[in-house]
Amino acid sequence: MRLEKCWFCSSTVYPGHGIQFVRNDAKIFRFCRSKCHKNFKMKRNPRKVKWTKAYRRLHGKDMTQDSTFEFERKRNRPERYDRNLAENTLKAIKKIDKVRVDREARHHALRMKGKKAKEQREAAKELEQGIHMVKAPAVLEKEPSLTLPKIKVKVSRPQAEENHPMEE
Amino acid sequence: MAARFASRLSHVGRSVFGGLGNISSGSLRTSLDSTWNNFLSQQQRTFIQMRTVLKVVDNSGAKKVMCIQALKGKKGARLGDTIVASVKEAHPNGKVKKGEVVYGVVVRAAMQRGRCDGSEVKFDDNAVVLLDKQGQPRGTRVFGPVPHELRKKKHLKILTLAEHIA
Repeated sequence: MRLEKCWFCSSTVYPGHGIQFVRNDAKIFRFCRSKCHKNFKMKRNPRKVKWTKAYRRLHGKDMTQDSTFEFERKRNRPERYDRNLAENTLKAIKKIDKVRVDREARHHALRMKGKKAKEQREAAKELEQGIHMVKAPAVLEKEPSLTLPKIKVKVSRPQAEENHPMEE
Repeated sequence: MAARFASRLSHVGRSVFGGLGNISSGSLRTSLDSTWNNFLSQQQRTFIQMRTVLKVVDNSGAKKVMCIQALKGKKGARLGDTIVASVKEAHPNGKVKKGEVVYGVVVRAAMQRGRCDGSEVKFDDNAVVLLDKQGQPRGTRVFGPVPHELRKKKHLKILTLAEHIA
């Protein structure tokens, strides 16, 4: 049993799923689901289709180089079965997955980082331009500070209900 | 019958597209082409039945054969089945001549076939390797990829001759 990668979206194809297309030059294309297969038949380039891993790696949205990827390289020599080796491998897989997920999260955070300053600048500009919507100009002349005025809303308090016991 | 209708529909679609392709060279192409492409690339691939033309991928001398009978299966032959065919096109100096009735095994089929691990395989075209009555191949070379399914059907000689086993 071997877990393959979908040619279009690079997700894993588990046994029992997907279609394998063999072209006449003996190149095999594996697809995880009909969505990828239909996109392939439409001759779409996965590097241009936004939701594929190929696009994401190409445009720097996902990690490209990491030592955790070395563990998933394709090996063509079958290993002799060894119970200890199998057990250790299973434990290692879990750990490697955790490490990889952490690193990907860090990469994502790094990618999203430089936004705070920009957001603050945009918010300040919006406040300056739109203050006339919230504060009357007359009030603004008296107090030329850009703080938003305090809004008081009247809330009616419900009357405390008296529980009349049922009178028979 | 539904299968035959589907294949006829795709045949008609293809000929119409051919005509349209000749006319449109400029502006008409972009929007119409993509819709036609979408429609045609979702061809429904079906069995190999009577009147199906298949490519011959060995060096027995024939180039194209037309299926006369699928030997197993009510709806038609699939990947790995044997058929009876009539040679429609042949190389001028080959062992097999035009008009001869031959047996063949389907080595590539455009219709997907399920494998025992649950996945499905499909090839790009319909291709056949000619056999004699005993099931031995008539040619000495086989071109293109062949599937694993031949091993179960005991066409081991074809597997040894093949360049690539899919």
